[in-house]
Amino acid sequence: MKDIREDIAWAKINQDVMKSLENPRPMYWVILFFAALVLAVGIGCEVYQYRTGMGVANLDNPHVWGLYIGTFIFWIGMSHSGTLLSAILHLMHADWRKPIYRFAEAMTTFSLMTAGLFVLMHLGRLWQFYYAVPYPNERWAWPNFQSPLIWDAMAMFTYLSSSVLFLFIGMIPDIAIARDNMHSGWRKKLYTLLALGWEGTDRQWRNFRMTYLTVACFLIPLAVSVHSIVASDFAVSQQPGWHVTSFPPYFVAGALYSGCAAIITLFIILRYVFKFEDYMTLPILKKVVRLTFAIAMVWTYLNCVEFASVWYSHDAASKGVLIQKMTGAYAPFWWAMIFCGSIVPLIFAVKRFQTNIPVIFATSLLMNLGMWLERWMIVSPTFSHGYYPWTWDHDQWPSMIQWGIVFGSFGWFTLLFMVFCKMFPSVSMYEVKEMVYHRSLHLKQNGTPVEQTVEQGVH
Amino acid sequence: MSVTNLLDNWAEVRHFHPIDDKPHDPYKWAMSIDLDACIGCNACAVACYAENNLPVVGREKFQHGQVMHWMRIERYWNEDDREFPDQGAEFLPMMCQQCEAAPCETVCPVGATNHTQDGLNSQIYNRCIGSRYCSANCPYKVRYFNWYDYPTTDNVWPAEMNYQLNPDVTVRGKGVMEKCTFCVQRLRAAEVTAKGEGRIVREGEVQTACQQSCPTNAISFGNLVDPESRVYKQWKAQQVDLAKDEQEKDKQEGGSDLRGYRILEDLRTYPSVMYLERVRESAV
Amino acid sequence: MIDSEFDRRDFLKVLGWGGAAVALSGCGNTSIEDGKETIVSYVQAKDYVIPGVAVYFNSTCAQCDAGCSITGKIREGRVLKLEGNPESPINKGRLCGLGQASVQHHYNPDRVREPLLRQGDKGEAISWEKAYGLINEKLSGVKGEEIAFITGDVSGHQKVLLGNYMDSLGSKNHFVYEAAAPAVVRAANLKAYGVEMPRYRIDKAKVVLSFGADFLGTWVSPVHFAQQYAAFRKGVDGQRGVLIQAESKMTLTGANADRWLAVRPGTEGILALGIINALGIATGDVAQLVKDYDKARVSRDTGVEPSHIDKIAAILRLRSPSLVLAGSAAEGYVHGMQNAEAINLLNYVLGNVGKTIESPVSVPFPQLAPSKGNTASLKRLNDDLAAGKYKVLFNIATNPVFTAPASYKFGDSMAKAGFKVAFAHYLDETALQADLVLPLDSEMEDWGTHVPEYLTETAQINIQQPLMERLHANTRGMGDILLALVKQRKPEEYKAFDDYYGYLRGAMLQNKGALGGAEKDDDNFWNDTLSNGIVKLSGPSSALSGKADVAGLKLPAPREADKEYPLRLIASVTSNLRDGRHTNQPWIQESPDPLTTIVWDSWIEMHPKKAAELGIVEGDIVKVTSRTGSISAQVYVFPGIHPEAVSIPIGRGHEAMGRYAKGYGVNPFSIMDSVFESTTGELAMHETNVNIAKTGQRVIVVKDEGPVGGKQMGARIAVSRSTDQVDLSKEV
Ligand SMILES: Nc1nc2c(c(=O)[nH]1)N[C@H]1C(S)=C(S)[C@@H](COP(=O)(O)OP(=O)(O)OC[C@H]3O[C@@H](n4cnc5c(=O)[nH]c(N)nc54)[C@H](O)[C@@H]3O)O[C@H]1N2
Ligand SMILES: Nc1nc2c(c(=O)[nH]1)N[C@H]1C(S)=C(S)[C@@H](COP(=O)(O)OP(=O)(O)OC[C@H]3O[C@@H](n4cnc5c(=O)[nH]c(N)nc54)[C@H](O)[C@@H]3O)O[C@H]1N2
Ligand code: SF4
Ligand code: SF4
Ligand code: SF4
Ligand code: SF4
Ligand code: SF4
Repeated sequence: MKDIREDIAWAKINQDVMKSLENPRPMYWVILFFAALVLAVGIGCEVYQYRTGMGVANLDNPHVWGLYIGTFIFWIGMSHSGTLLSAILHLMHADWRKPIYRFAEAMTTFSLMTAGLFVLMHLGRLWQFYYAVPYPNERWAWPNFQSPLIWDAMAMFTYLSSSVLFLFIGMIPDIAIARDNMHSGWRKKLYTLLALGWEGTDRQWRNFRMTYLTVACFLIPLAVSVHSIVASDFAVSQQPGWHVTSFPPYFVAGALYSGCAAIITLFIILRYVFKFEDYMTLPILKKVVRLTFAIAMVWTYLNCVEFASVWYSHDAASKGVLIQKMTGAYAPFWWAMIFCGSIVPLIFAVKRFQTNIPVIFATSLLMNLGMWLERWMIVSPTFSHGYYPWTWDHDQWPSMIQWGIVFGSFGWFTLLFMVFCKMFPSVSMYEVKEMVYHRSLHLKQNGTPVEQTVEQGVH
Repeated sequence: MSVTNLLDNWAEVRHFHPIDDKPHDPYKWAMSIDLDACIGCNACAVACYAENNLPVVGREKFQHGQVMHWMRIERYWNEDDREFPDQGAEFLPMMCQQCEAAPCETVCPVGATNHTQDGLNSQIYNRCIGSRYCSANCPYKVRYFNWYDYPTTDNVWPAEMNYQLNPDVTVRGKGVMEKCTFCVQRLRAAEVTAKGEGRIVREGEVQTACQQSCPTNAISFGNLVDPESRVYKQWKAQQVDLAKDEQEKDKQEGGSDLRGYRILEDLRTYPSVMYLERVRESAV
Repeated sequence: MIDSEFDRRDFLKVLGWGGAAVALSGCGNTSIEDGKETIVSYVQAKDYVIPGVAVYFNSTCAQCDAGCSITGKIREGRVLKLEGNPESPINKGRLCGLGQASVQHHYNPDRVREPLLRQGDKGEAISWEKAYGLINEKLSGVKGEEIAFITGDVSGHQKVLLGNYMDSLGSKNHFVYEAAAPAVVRAANLKAYGVEMPRYRIDKAKVVLSFGADFLGTWVSPVHFAQQYAAFRKGVDGQRGVLIQAESKMTLTGANADRWLAVRPGTEGILALGIINALGIATGDVAQLVKDYDKARVSRDTGVEPSHIDKIAAILRLRSPSLVLAGSAAEGYVHGMQNAEAINLLNYVLGNVGKTIESPVSVPFPQLAPSKGNTASLKRLNDDLAAGKYKVLFNIATNPVFTAPASYKFGDSMAKAGFKVAFAHYLDETALQADLVLPLDSEMEDWGTHVPEYLTETAQINIQQPLMERLHANTRGMGDILLALVKQRKPEEYKAFDDYYGYLRGAMLQNKGALGGAEKDDDNFWNDTLSNGIVKLSGPSSALSGKADVAGLKLPAPREADKEYPLRLIASVTSNLRDGRHTNQPWIQESPDPLTTIVWDSWIEMHPKKAAELGIVEGDIVKVTSRTGSISAQVYVFPGIHPEAVSIPIGRGHEAMGRYAKGYGVNPFSIMDSVFESTTGELAMHETNVNIAKTGQRVIVVKDEGPVGGKQMGARIAVSRSTDQVDLSKEV
């Protein structure tokens, strides 16, 4: 089966994608409405928490961290898929990524922006957040560069700015198409501005490809390092259960996993909402599904490695944490994580389900849930154990405020993402054209008749 | 503001550890608590409330684990399987151990918790942004976070009750971390007075509030580098060395007959509080 | 320390302008106009006010009757913190948590601030002139025997003035009431030693065998005994003192024992006789008395293992002197006196009398010595009130409506008195039922002298002096009130005294010689007295005159299990709460109970075995029913209690007394049966039998310990070792 139809005319590609900027299915507005609603709830909760104090989140001693940190890791993890699809697969010349990498990249950017919010919201004194920024000041007070939180802040900032850059650079040719096809008005002005005078000259294309490749090469180690550093927040601490050297690869695997699962979810939604059936095709979906399955198995393997190394280390405290996770107050969630993360993806081993959209959609949601639970299970059960028995088995459940903010973050992300997809071409037109072009060349060589219009509309 | 400044500045940050070329001089504040003398009466904990402006959070917040007692008296049962705890309970006053290599310090993103020249783990309220990483990383779980703005919370310090606040100690607002300071305001006052008189603080000149109230004198506090001080003598007699993660006496075959030990010492936190084991009569 | 012209009334004036009060409020809305009468510039401040520098004044702790001396830290006219006065041999510079919390009594936002006259259900604020006038009016035509006074322990010049006032009214009805006083032990001591309170020398004893005397927590003079205990543990001749505690519910002292014995409730006396028997050194009458108390029987009756009786007898034989104490746990029964006598007998058998039981010193001014409270007096007062004997009742800061067993119906009895005056700090349960409530100064605003019941090395008079200006303009000191009242009756005799301060100063100066100030001029003497906070006296020792008297000593057999009410209710006294008069001090509410670590609430202690039998787990709300009534509270499963008993602490369950007390917990007095000790008529606090029924509700117990409770899970946290593994002589 071919990834996409080979006979789509380039002009049709332009038309189809440009349509997504104008008239999506009504479902789009429904999603937008609910996202805004959820975000409003989240904002309300945050304002209340800001004014009253972190206590309203129901955090306590020893549970000083909770869902906020868990959800923070979740969003960071999700950001990895964009880099995986656009940069890694780009370097590996995996053609099938072309219709879908754009939205994955957007996902990276917006999930990072969401993650960043959690870092801030979690602070007891949000209004002093800039103390963590190394800015020159007359007191010569620097942040503590020894703290993984500072590494975090820097890594995230670098990753976010690079991702935005990467997303933007990759969009330039498409923005130019949008500029040329948009009726006049503020959007046309915007595209004109953002297209940076793209004319599609040879020289521009050469520079473009060079730049894109460079940023891609830069982004890959960055992505790996970001989640390794987030893992260091835990691994560098002395809390049993966190103080594990395998945390960085484990976090990266989890990140790729949750990113892929999220791509599947959004793939299906966008395909429907923006009528992208011709581009986000089942064969592509199938490839993503298979990739996700592979990563799920890697993640499962790393889990086992972690359990085994804890078990054989004979470190009583770490073992205690593990047992606590499996049998303590959080056990239902922990087992739900194992189920969603390791058992559910086995469905993808069945060929029949690899292209069954409802099944894939449901599975992807469950996997997302599993990955979110994983992050929560890294944070909270550990605080129920530790070195000091006086605080053991103390469970802490998030308050409605904490839940509200966590849900609000989903609203925030969805809102940003959906607005982006309607503002900018979420399918890379020029790369899809490349796919079609290569294929039609191929067909031509085979002597198969091809529609004349194929190359129309190219710059 | 230059890179040199940053580097110099940075090199000084972890300056004050008990390493050979930088000994504690002239002060290293330390404590020892005799668990055989401690009767678990809580007087020390109340004294700490009074001295350090600790808020009373009320039943609901206490239930949520948001109590602010810098000093907590833990009560353990030793005889888990017997019908009755027929050798009594064990009481353990637990507060910040003022670790020499404090896990809380290294992780604080803004350096709000620091090691001081006189061997304290200090907490700079103004600098703290409330990330709570320090608490996550404290093995003893003795850091207390201001989950609410207690000064403006109903019935914490209502009119007149606020008169009792100690002006020498900040009243902390919401969002900052706090913990036992070894009553640093008393230490500083004594140090400044002594400095003005061209000497160092003498043994007995400064007491922590908890030590001062303790009816059984279970708590000793003083300058560990002053051979005249009681803590120095106690640590010496108990062969507990500040800069070790396992004491020589504990390596002996059959253990030692000395009672001094430090809690979770093997984590290499180098705590500044030595405990003396509780004793129970073998003849009854 | 202070100059002679010093006027403490200036303190508040300083406060009004000094601005220390803005610690929290920042820029408040106090205008200079508002406070113009109280402006005093720091430029001319008194020399005891040094901005930013604390000054210290000595006074006396009034939170319990132990009479510890305090040193108040004062800055800019505010008292900030209380520390122990090192000069007092009672507490030697130390202070218990309860004592420290008294600043929260002083600053309590729920204090009564104006004289209040009952108008239906409300109190109308009136002036002091009107209040005094009203009292005068109500007393006119009332005979002396129709007037009653109820107070707590009272001593010193206030006692004298109260006596004078009562004389002027012709009333002899002074009821001295304390809900948790060792009254039965006093009676037994009087019989055994010839004094109610001998001087106990825990510090000299090598073994202390205590039958429920919680001397580290609540008994008699806990800070003092805790200091003795510290010395005792360090040891006499290098030998560490051994503490054995026998009681049905573990007290703080029991929690510190080397051996804690869970005795069946009420069998403390039997155990004492059993130990005498096992010692095998008694002769004569005593030997005769104990001959039936063999190990097997005693063990059966008390639940104490025979091997423990042997070991205790062995160590008592081996290590001398020892000290045997009879405490509240032993006295709370119908046969409490018998229990206490049997226990005291042990001291004779062991030869402790005169060694660790010494003759006490006494204050050479008997008129200043304390009137000691008990519960029998409340019973008498209640009976009299119920019989309509009194037309006027004066209540000085006691709260019997809260602490009288519900079966007394004290509130109803009190209603029969025509006019009830309550001198009170708070609108507590009793003050709410009064016709006239007169607001008292706190102990930190008032003058006074106190003589503690339990004296140590020397006789002493404790001075109470204001640590700061009164917070509320319309409260008055009890001494000033008594002076004003007695002036109504005998204006001529008292006209020389403007206020109680003048009276007190005059009274002290009159005895300057006897108080050790013969060489000093009046001002110096007075200033030194205030500065020291105590006057140490060389008082006579009252000799120990009792003997090992076995006549009439007959202990009842252990109680048969009551089918309907199978469990004993031990209404326990805890070191934080005492009788509940300080429950409204937030530090006290939030100070975890040392044994259960519970805060802000009541609980029912139940042995794990009993709980398992009844299918009860921690946090279950159960209904505790006695013949008198029932209450519901949360269960705390607690190993330190005999399975035949359950325990509820007294002190919580207030229905009044302000925001920090009202509505927290339950009051066990409300289900306590009226059963009395047979010899003394004291309320037998442990004689109530109850049954327990689950209500089906469950709560999370609000406590400091975590869910794993007191288990250390193999970690080296609180470590102990036995005496044979340690060499204490090497220690500093
Ligand atoms: N509660 C209270 N209020 C008072 C007073 C009081 O004692 N108590 N005192 C009153 C008196 S006498 C005075 S003079 C005023 C003072 O009132 P302000 O002038 O407000 O005094 P500060 O808060 O000391 O300083 C103001 C700001 O200047 C910043 N700053 C420091 N150095 C520099 C610099 O080189 N350049 C710039 N641009 N900014 C700098 C500081 O960081 C600070 O944020 O307050 C008055 N108000
Ligand atoms: N660390 C630090 N030091 C500072 C400053 C700072 O920000 N930080 N700010 C500086 C500045 S801007 C200022 S203006 C100065 C202020 O410094 P000062 O002038 O010392 O100000 P105060 O201490 O507020 O007031 C001085 C005294 O005046 C008395 N006083 C009050 N009312 C009267 C009155 O009616 N008549 C007379 N005769 N006396 C009265 C008060 O009791 C008090 O003792 O501090 C300076 N010093
Ligand atoms: S005990 Fe905890 S808070 Fe104190 S210094 Fe050590 S790690 Fe830091
Ligand atoms: S809570 Fe404050 S002290 Fe603790 S790590 Fe965060 S910023 Fe540092
Ligand atoms: S040393 Fe001071 S701050 Fe620390 S527990 Fe004792 S009283 Fe509190
Ligand atoms: S005051 Fe002393 S005896 Fe009481 S709990 Fe504290 S350390 Fe122990
Ligand atoms: S024992 Fe009594 S008098 Fe002494 S400090 Fe405690 S409450 Fe005050």
